[in-house]
Amino acid sequence: MNLIAQTLADGLVLGGIYALAAVGFSLIFGVLHVINLSHGILVLLGAYLALFLSQALRIDPLLTLPLVMAALFVVGYVYQRFLIQHAVDRSPLGSMLLTFGVALMLQNIMIWVFSPDMKSITPNWAFTSFRIGAVNFDAVRVSALLASLVLLCCLALLLKFSPLGRVIRATAQQTMAARLCGVNVRHVYALTFAVSAAFAGAAGIVIGIILPFSPADEATWTLNAFVVVVLGGVGSPAGALLGGLLLGIVSTLTAQYIGPSFPNVTMFLLLVLLLLVRPTGLLGNAFSASR
Amino acid sequence: MKISPALAVLLMVACAALLALGPMVLPPFYVRVGQLMLYSAGLAVAWTILGGFAGYASFGHAAFIGVGAFAAGLVEARFSGVSPPLLLLLGLAVGGICCAVLSAAISYPILRLRGTFFAIAMLGVSHVCAELNNNVDFFEGSLGLNFPAVAPTSLEPATFFYWLYLFASLVVLLIAWQIRRSRFGAGLLSIREDEDTARMLGVPTERYKRMAFVISAVLTGQLGVIYAHSLGYITTDSVYRDDTNLSLIVYSLLGGMGSLFGPVIGAFMLVFITQVILGRLLDFHLFATGLLLVILVLAAPGGVLGLVRTFQLRRRPAAAPAE
Amino acid sequence: MSAAPILRVDRLSKNFRGLAAIAEVSFSIEPGSITSIIGPNGAGKSTLFNLVTGYLPPSAGEIQFRGSAITGMATNRIAELGIARAFQIARPFRDLSVFDNVRIGALFGKAGPRDVAATTARGMELAAIAHLADQPASTLTVGQLRHLEVARAIATRADLLLADEPCAGLNPTETAAMIEVLRRIRTSGVTIVLVEHDMPSVMEVSDRLLVLDAGRLIADGPPHEVANDRQVIAAYLGTPDPVN
Repeated sequence: MNLIAQTLADGLVLGGIYALAAVGFSLIFGVLHVINLSHGILVLLGAYLALFLSQALRIDPLLTLPLVMAALFVVGYVYQRFLIQHAVDRSPLGSMLLTFGVALMLQNIMIWVFSPDMKSITPNWAFTSFRIGAVNFDAVRVSALLASLVLLCCLALLLKFSPLGRVIRATAQQTMAARLCGVNVRHVYALTFAVSAAFAGAAGIVIGIILPFSPADEATWTLNAFVVVVLGGVGSPAGALLGGLLLGIVSTLTAQYIGPSFPNVTMFLLLVLLLLVRPTGLLGNAFSASR
Repeated sequence: MKISPALAVLLMVACAALLALGPMVLPPFYVRVGQLMLYSAGLAVAWTILGGFAGYASFGHAAFIGVGAFAAGLVEARFSGVSPPLLLLLGLAVGGICCAVLSAAISYPILRLRGTFFAIAMLGVSHVCAELNNNVDFFEGSLGLNFPAVAPTSLEPATFFYWLYLFASLVVLLIAWQIRRSRFGAGLLSIREDEDTARMLGVPTERYKRMAFVISAVLTGQLGVIYAHSLGYITTDSVYRDDTNLSLIVYSLLGGMGSLFGPVIGAFMLVFITQVILGRLLDFHLFATGLLLVILVLAAPGGVLGLVRTFQLRRRPAAAPAE
Repeated sequence: MSAAPILRVDRLSKNFRGLAAIAEVSFSIEPGSITSIIGPNGAGKSTLFNLVTGYLPPSAGEIQFRGSAITGMATNRIAELGIARAFQIARPFRDLSVFDNVRIGALFGKAGPRDVAATTARGMELAAIAHLADQPASTLTVGQLRHLEVARAIATRADLLLADEPCAGLNPTETAAMIEVLRRIRTSGVTIVLVEHDMPSVMEVSDRLLVLDAGRLIADGPPHEVANDRQVIAAYLGTPDPVN
């Protein structure tokens, strides 16, 4: 009984982090209709940047959050506006291929600059843990989860109540009408990507604290994000949270009861099953009427 | 540019004969590059039967290279007493059957996905196969598999494999060429253009997609079997590679997506660039391939053949302009 | 002596959550004729086509094609039996040439691939696009694309062609060309049912008119008879029927 409770709790904690790591990908898919295969590399970029900054400035990794998010915001804006936008104009496959190409280029650069070895970010308070009832919680993972939830809430509030959020949602629902109302769609797309990249970077920090990472992981994080989106639905933080939690629980349950090598297999089978049964995800597409 | 089938066959045979001279006139380094070029060309054409003809671009065909290679290796290890050429045939047969069974089984669910979803699902298939291969002891993926030497003693192994790749790729090319000229091929093209309309016109879209998927998978697997033998020893990472997944797409994109010879041209070019031009700079490969992909998408989405066609159209007087 | 009807629709109804889109519609189509279905917007014309081609299942009623029931059959099955549809929004195979487009119809049409080259050529001839054979479909104008739609449908050796507003958005010259194509197709033995709004063309080319209004068939007969029918005039102009 304790084992199940522990496994589920671990799954929820992991799931919250998966959700944060996927929400940016979901936003881009929902608003720009682009599958960003360089998502994982942006997450890793956040992790490496946090590692570098926390060592260089000698501050707690979580405090690098605003810096990393700002940096990735700019990177994301430029990337979308001056590179991806042109590929989008060609074909849907084009943007996927372009982002795939960029992911590999950045992966290669990261291998040069940071080496292919595993790294991790270890904050000073890394080894404390506490219990609630029969379940153990590791301080690092819990703070990672809390950070994820706070950031997801911020994003949800941004999308729902801020002027930027309204413009993004409008553009996602009816691009041509938005243009006719004077919305600079390219600018909005770039801002959306910038927000997405910023959150990917934040996710990278959170992940970096709890797991070792290396440039080769980028595909895993992109695929994870894709699964979360398929599970939970496109475009909404709530959907990302739902999908993330589901994925987290499935991962830990599989690792515990089937074998530590099999979470990806189960995840993939879940993915295919859901794509067949309900391709718009459990919560559907947040930005458009379900087809 | 239309040429008669007879002339096309003649040209292919002539090219093959010319290429066959390779090992006899080239230094060893270039023979190895030639092997890689022919191997890649064969893989590219096999991929394009599904990706270029039918429009179902798979981001995970390395899965079949791996399945073919390991199936062959595991079976051949149990028949060590048999003579080498027969072993190779056995490996090819087993590899082919396993790829056929696997692809047929997953084709039902996975071909219900379209476009980007299909691409990502195939990437998932590749990663899952790699993971199972690595973690389940039966497959010996992490330990590695040894392959028997199958080259006849009278020949240099490099020469033998060069000719084997040439032969295999030629077979793949001929199969793809035949498909392209047939009713099946016309149906695949219509599926690529507009699957729903094709179905309404009577094209058996589901059946054709599955056939293309299985044929593509089996041919890819066969080449994987040969590749494993040419390496002599493989682990999971030798065959289940993301850069292979990427390259397979780039070959067709670079040469001209949807055409028959485009993938061959693309494969030759990309291998030449990475092996000969960037040969010493191993660290550059991922970066270079990625950069090439980015440039292609932005500047030349039709690939080399697309550029040729554009050039040809520009030189002709304009037809009545359509809106 | 008239032959058996090629298409028979018997008390066909289609409801969408309480709204009767089609209500108890019955008619027969003679082989070799051109019939036009007209009516105000929202009368149910496209729904009727969707029911006949199997896109939508009917709520009630029967559809018979050449004597056998096709009610509720799958779309591609119905296509195999010999009913073809040309859409208002053309869906060509963009990267293929006009010839290759039409050839798909011949390769996969009714009764399997027979005389593919001849059937393809005939399809292009009847639709007056043989001169465009080698052009990629992506370079055609809207009018030419409509002809391509028709050519491809004819190449499937269909006996019945359902044409969905083939003249919509065409200028008078293009409209006349399309009407001419439809006439040629009829002469070649194919029965045609049109949905159209262009009244002069409809009056000129049709053997019979069916008028739908709010899902009901309110008139069925030769063009001039129908055009003078009071109910039809009332339906189009919205004035109450002066007789009743």
